[in-house]
Amino acid sequence: MDKLNVIQKTVMTIVLATLVLIVVLPLMFFTTVSFSNAAEMSQFPKSMLPNFNVTVKVVPTEEGEFEVFYDSGEGYTSIITSKRASKLETHFTRQYAVTVPGEQLIEDFSQTLVKGPMEFTYKKDAFYNFKQFFSIVPNASTALKNSIIVSLMTILISLSIGSLAGYAMARYNFKLKRQINVSLLIVRMFPMVGISIPMAILLIRFGLFDTLIGLAFLYSIPNIALTSWITSSIFIGINKELEEASMVFGANNFQTFMRITLPLAFPALAASSMYSFLTAWNDTISALILTNENQTLALVVYKAIGTTSSGIQYAAAGSIVLILPALVFTFIIRKYIGQMWGGVEL
Amino acid sequence: MSYLEIKNLRKKYSKDGPLIIDNLNLSVEKGEFIVFLGPSGCGKTTTIRMIAGLEDVNDGEILIEGVNIIDKKPKDRGVSMIFQSYAIWPHMTVFENIAYPLKLQKVSKAEINKRVKAVAEATDISNLLKKYPAQMSGGQRQRVAVSRAIVVEPKIFLMDEPLSNLDAKLRVSMRTELKNIHNKQNSTSIFVTHDQSEAMSMADRIVVMYKGKIEQIGSPMEVYEDSATKFVAEFIGTPPTNFFKTRIEKIDGVLMAVNSSFKYKIPNSLVKALEKYVGKEVDMGVRPEFIDISPEMEKTEGYICDTNISFVEPQGSHSILITRIGEVEIKIHTVKYMYMKPNTNVALNVKSEKVMFFDCDSTKRIKADNL
Repeated sequence: MDKLNVIQKTVMTIVLATLVLIVVLPLMFFTTVSFSNAAEMSQFPKSMLPNFNVTVKVVPTEEGEFEVFYDSGEGYTSIITSKRASKLETHFTRQYAVTVPGEQLIEDFSQTLVKGPMEFTYKKDAFYNFKQFFSIVPNASTALKNSIIVSLMTILISLSIGSLAGYAMARYNFKLKRQINVSLLIVRMFPMVGISIPMAILLIRFGLFDTLIGLAFLYSIPNIALTSWITSSIFIGINKELEEASMVFGANNFQTFMRITLPLAFPALAASSMYSFLTAWNDTISALILTNENQTLALVVYKAIGTTSSGIQYAAAGSIVLILPALVFTFIIRKYIGQMWGGVEL
Repeated sequence: MSYLEIKNLRKKYSKDGPLIIDNLNLSVEKGEFIVFLGPSGCGKTTTIRMIAGLEDVNDGEILIEGVNIIDKKPKDRGVSMIFQSYAIWPHMTVFENIAYPLKLQKVSKAEINKRVKAVAEATDISNLLKKYPAQMSGGQRQRVAVSRAIVVEPKIFLMDEPLSNLDAKLRVSMRTELKNIHNKQNSTSIFVTHDQSEAMSMADRIVVMYKGKIEQIGSPMEVYEDSATKFVAEFIGTPPTNFFKTRIEKIDGVLMAVNSSFKYKIPNSLVKALEKYVGKEVDMGVRPEFIDISPEMEKTEGYICDTNISFVEPQGSHSILITRIGEVEIKIHTVKYMYMKPNTNVALNVKSEKVMFFDCDSTKRIKADNL
């Protein structure tokens, strides 16, 4: 290996590492935030990795109460002094996300009456923020359900119409084929905000305003075009003789489609379904304009982030709930997309 | 009644387009190996696809065992096919590929297992049954395609240029194997090819097609020795038949084929037939192996002219000599003079009984007996 190559490699590595850090660091930080309790939120500097334990120092007072000290980075400071179980429980839950019954706390702290000041370490309820998100934010759980339904409907609509269109594009010749092909892409050209007013009017006319199916239709429009493009390129790649062989060897059209064409086109369908899913799952702007009651999760999270000043950690938890399915879905589909571009000979 | 009968078959791809298949008639006996031979675009593949049911028929009938199958779906016709690309399904193993038609016929699992194994044995792919097509060579895929085609025990076995994707050596050995399988299965086969040596070596009968029409149907030797049209004489044989544009003239009471370079005396057997053509142009054809040369300038009854050999192409067992007579390049197949040096002067004689004359308009052969 010559020198230039080493330099090139080093520069390349640095650039790639920077890019990865730019993407990964905020995501990591956000994940940490979503697992942080209120006390940690006011901490500075914040830790990069989430902490799952809370350590407090308890000192008994002369009146028989317990003074709780917490170290938020600048040494232990006195936070609360009480001997009432309910008060301690509320404090520990709200501030530290530690959901231990007050009686248990009192019992633990009682040891200090004999042994003097002690440190106690409690396990955080790791998913406290997530639970809080769904209980504090109105409609959050409904919104999650809505998001799932809308996404599935979008996949269904765009896949069924788009793949049929793609098949027609690939296999048949008809008038204006090229024009239709190009105009499919034009559909994707317009920004959602730009066409939202006419869209809203249309959906109101159709009686689909503020319905999940209306939203799914809206998301499907650009994805039908994309799906037909992706699938038609795959269908073209599938040798027609494979289908003809199936017909000669005893299958009818439907059996041929199900047993030969569809399995061979599966990577394309998987890729298209991913795009459809992501469109529907990630959209906020259309949902903001076109829904009222039936909000989607992305919209709810957006609103939660936009409106809270305290409790950012709950919004962060909501965001993680939003990110995770998209991540998982993409990860599952990845294999098939790899197949599609990996050049499995058909 | 013949096993397969094609009557007045016609095909157009578009309403005003040209006839791709023009009034095709053919009958095939059970157990025959028929080869459709012709240049690309002659309609041979279209015909076989119409028999398989993959193309619509515009007009005419296709009968198998006396039953018209034109309106039947491909799966109900009882034919099987080997495709040019083999059409082995890439997402199935070899076993699944071969078992597919049987599964669709709802054959029991044990029976499928038995039949697939038997067929795999016959085509020598038993060790490949669990593999996927992507892991196999062209020759192996070909065998899978053959296995799949014979496992259904078809009435007719259709093959659409099945050897054209193989390398030259494999192609020759697969020929023998396909013919072998045909004989063993006692099946009726139709084989499409543009390779005349493939056709000659495999066929019981060759159907030579050109521009959607049948030019000649006959055994390989018939087609070769007794070509019915100029096209057949030109298409079959390597190198192809040599042609001269000549004019039939009567000179001093002797019928001659005259050309700017030579005067050739018409052999007695053809005199009667060619007398009608006096004053007209005809194509005279001689196969390269029916031209004799004489470096000693010996002239026989079939003497044409003297010429100079410009190239010699040794082929091992024989040589091809190339010379020009007038504007035409002539190829001569010779064993006797295979070590001849270029630039030799020779006398050119033809074997008179092998000379062919063709009508310029109809391109049909002018035969001695068609008075």
